[in-house]
Amino acid sequence: MNPGDRVRVERADREYEGVLLPSSTADQLVVKLDGGYNVGIEREGAETEVLESDVYQIDAAQDETASSSVEFDEDLPTIALISTGGTIASTVDYRTGAVTARFDAEDVLRAVPDLAGRANYRGRVVANILSENMEVPIWQELAEAVHEEIESGADGVVVMHGTDTMQFSASALSFMLDTPVPIVFTGSQRSADRPSSDNVMNAVCAVEAAKADAAEVMVCMHASESDDVCALHRGTRVRKNHTSRRDAFETVGAAPLGTVDYDAETVTFDGEYEERGESELDIQPALAEDVELVKFTPGMDPTFFDHCADKAGLVVEGTGLGHVHSDRIEQLEELVDDGTTVVMTSQCIEGRVCDRVYDTGRDLLDAGVVEGEDMLPGTAKVKLMWALANADDVAATMRTPLAGEITEQSRPWNA
Amino acid sequence: MTDHDYDELGLVAGLEIHQQLDTDTKLFCSCPTDLREADASTRQFTRYLHPTKSELGEIDEAALEESQVEREFTYLGYDTTCLVEEDDEPPHRLDQEARTVVLEIAQLLDMEPVDVAHVMRKLVVDGSNTSGFQRSTLVATDGEIQTDEGPVRVADLMLEEESAQRIEETEAGVTYSLDRLGIPLVEIGTKPDISSPEQARDAAERIGMLLRSTGHVKRGLGTIRQDVNISIADGARVEVKGVQSLDDIDDIVRNEVGRQVALLDIAAELEERGASVGEVQDVTGVFEDTDSGVVRGALEDGGAVYAVPLYGFDGLVGREIQPDRRLGTELSDHAKRHGAGGIFHTDELPAYGVTEAEVEAMCEAVGAGEEDAVAMVAAEAGVAEPAVEAAAARAETAMDGVPEETRGANEDGTTRYLRPLPGAARMYPETDVPPVELDPSEVAVPELLTEKVERYQDEYDLDAGLAEQVAYGTHMPLFESVVADGVDATLAAGTLESTLTELRRDDVPVADLTDEHLRDALRLVDDGEVPNEGLPELLTALAVNPELTAEEAVEQEDLGGVDESEVREAVVEVVERNADQVAEQGMGAFSALMGECMGALRGKADGDVVSDTLREEIQKRA
Repeated sequence: MNPGDRVRVERADREYEGVLLPSSTADQLVVKLDGGYNVGIEREGAETEVLESDVYQIDAAQDETASSSVEFDEDLPTIALISTGGTIASTVDYRTGAVTARFDAEDVLRAVPDLAGRANYRGRVVANILSENMEVPIWQELAEAVHEEIESGADGVVVMHGTDTMQFSASALSFMLDTPVPIVFTGSQRSADRPSSDNVMNAVCAVEAAKADAAEVMVCMHASESDDVCALHRGTRVRKNHTSRRDAFETVGAAPLGTVDYDAETVTFDGEYEERGESELDIQPALAEDVELVKFTPGMDPTFFDHCADKAGLVVEGTGLGHVHSDRIEQLEELVDDGTTVVMTSQCIEGRVCDRVYDTGRDLLDAGVVEGEDMLPGTAKVKLMWALANADDVAATMRTPLAGEITEQSRPWNA
Repeated sequence: MTDHDYDELGLVAGLEIHQQLDTDTKLFCSCPTDLREADASTRQFTRYLHPTKSELGEIDEAALEESQVEREFTYLGYDTTCLVEEDDEPPHRLDQEARTVVLEIAQLLDMEPVDVAHVMRKLVVDGSNTSGFQRSTLVATDGEIQTDEGPVRVADLMLEEESAQRIEETEAGVTYSLDRLGIPLVEIGTKPDISSPEQARDAAERIGMLLRSTGHVKRGLGTIRQDVNISIADGARVEVKGVQSLDDIDDIVRNEVGRQVALLDIAAELEERGASVGEVQDVTGVFEDTDSGVVRGALEDGGAVYAVPLYGFDGLVGREIQPDRRLGTELSDHAKRHGAGGIFHTDELPAYGVTEAEVEAMCEAVGAGEEDAVAMVAAEAGVAEPAVEAAAARAETAMDGVPEETRGANEDGTTRYLRPLPGAARMYPETDVPPVELDPSEVAVPELLTEKVERYQDEYDLDAGLAEQVAYGTHMPLFESVVADGVDATLAAGTLESTLTELRRDDVPVADLTDEHLRDALRLVDDGEVPNEGLPELLTALAVNPELTAEEAVEQEDLGGVDESEVREAVVEVVERNADQVAEQGMGAFSALMGECMGALRGKADGDVVSDTLREEIQKRA
């Protein structure tokens, strides 16, 4: 008896007939009845008869054999679609019952037919992971892949990415790459296996953004709950601010770089950006991996910072203007003295760190802590990894804007 | 309506009953199950839907047809809806109260619950679900109910979420209201054991009674919907959706049987004539100078006229197959699905401003002769051709007899084409909600309404009529709860049935009374705080000012009881004012003065106290 077989199961005077599905537990059979409903039946005491083998090829069911042999159109730009997995390219896993990623970029083209006719596409899979499983070497592979695609002529790059850690990857590419073309991250908050998924609109808008003029690393996701406009966020200033909403991604401390109108297929930029072709393509993919991001909260175990001894870098997510408990300052000073670069950011999310206002802050500066300006804590971590591997003066680099991660003037932007 | 010999025709019918549950919260979130007015909406947003494949890699035919037109959906949200309805938050766990009620229903229907219930997604891309699917769970199978004509087996019981309410439809899309989305709904499907129109109605009534016995189902228009599956031996399975009233069920069955018989007759005649369907052709040229308003209107908008010859169909397109609905109406229904306003056909032409000469020219253009018919559609470019093709496809199936399909119930008991029958391909697992192990032993079997009627008579001394009114009425759960709290059963029953009915007839907006109002008002009367006679006035005050509590209304309307000295004072005043009458008639004046006394006390005093006092005062003077 195998998944895909047509079976009849009898248990306790009840009888069910249907297709056996890979069940989620060892104790229960899951049968798809003719009406389409699945039911779970306790294995214990169940009598099962196979009526017909292999009615369905479960594993193959999702894989279409038709290949997407799209004709090359000389009048259209070429966009590289790079998949790292995530909800945008996900489907149901029968073993766990959960949603997993298993599509390559061509599958995405098949899954999102609306992409057709907008560009010539080159598909590429760098990883097939949920983004919470992202690792530093994959950032580097991704950066290399984007570099290669641009080098070989892509007019823009779209990176399909899980939303959980998209902001980290976007930051990483922002620091590792100088790009003459747009690099647009997109994903979806609602899985692709539902008709209401935001994947179609996000992917279409990301391709439109990749064809447009801003040679920036951006995140393209819904601007509101409606399927009307996507926002383009700078990769180093974007943050996932909601667990589930389509418009979870927001630019922190500024308006988004621009918007894409789904219906009108127009891309509009509001602020300053680097234009297409301004920069020479370059890559500096080295990253120091031993960097930690630690959030300070009241009641924190004092030995916590001790675990950061011997780290190359530590980003502290402090309170308010950038503080920790006064008793912890000495520990941080020891870390600095032993060679760890310590950067202060704020858990306020909005606003700039300023350690010159209160005694605690001044003591932190005296201890050698570097102010992280208005950098997002996650962005600061990625930047510190990059700076430790690439910059001569790490502290100065951390305070200098490289990829829009620091704004030099705190202009009120939301009225 | 001619009645057929249903046995001979081999009628088999089954029912699908959808009933909303009256639970505190929705099936997959903690929002209340309250319906709202659209203008109370606090937010709105727009979405598109894109069909997806089932886990077996198939696309549902019905969903595909629905999605061929890209439409924008607008949703109205309220201060009583949340991100779950908006498909912007994963569903919460399957509501516990709904699980309990559905297991009660399973017991009442003599069904076997499944070991583990799996929540499924049923693909629905007409926008009525923000997610693009309806969550539905098979809870139990294998039940049976009794009817006068024998048992009807119940195949399955599903617990699902109600869809969003359609508010408005425009060319650009549809507006839906999120208040109804997610209200728990049970779907009960019978086996095709029903063999007459009367039995269909009987079975539906029986299921309705069983559902109401739980005391946890919603009442009122739209809270219960019946679908009927009907076929005759040589016909095909047709699913009729959305029968709103029980009274219509038998008519729907009769008319559908009539339709299938008529379609089979037509098929036989078409075969005899060697009929066939020709090629769809552009006949715009024929109508260049037409005086027909409909055709001219379409052409002036840059439209076109397409037509299809139906060889051997002459006279059959116009043949009636349901009261006032012809084979041509069926072709028209299919054309409408593709955006056209309908079709014209030669069995009805010349008409609608289309002249005889134009009909002849069209027939000649498509090569149709005297024994043939022609169906035509005038519409905007891009609509006319596919619309005629859809009509032609329907004409093609007319040669085979009855097509399997989903039809919608019309108010007059006839039906119209809606879409193809849905298949198993539209179901796939809802991975956001873990499967639920069901334990039917947690649930007690509810008392049937028929049993309640008996008990109300035995235990509460209600007469048979009132007992039945209460048990089958909308206030049954409230009645049981106030009586359990100690309120006199006769008072509660009389108030909830007679008093409210009388007030409604007097145009008091009793629909605005909450259970809380009724419960408190009954308690105040039962405790003697308010006399019996003051109850109608109290309920009226509450209905007019629903924001008041019962206590506040008593104070505002000054309905609290008066003590005996006040009663005596009022009575003495009345008696003295009518001293002559009392002197003349003695106790004979009692009835006339009683009314006056009650009026003077404005219902604040108990009638027995007033009558005793009045009797005393008259006697003193007599």
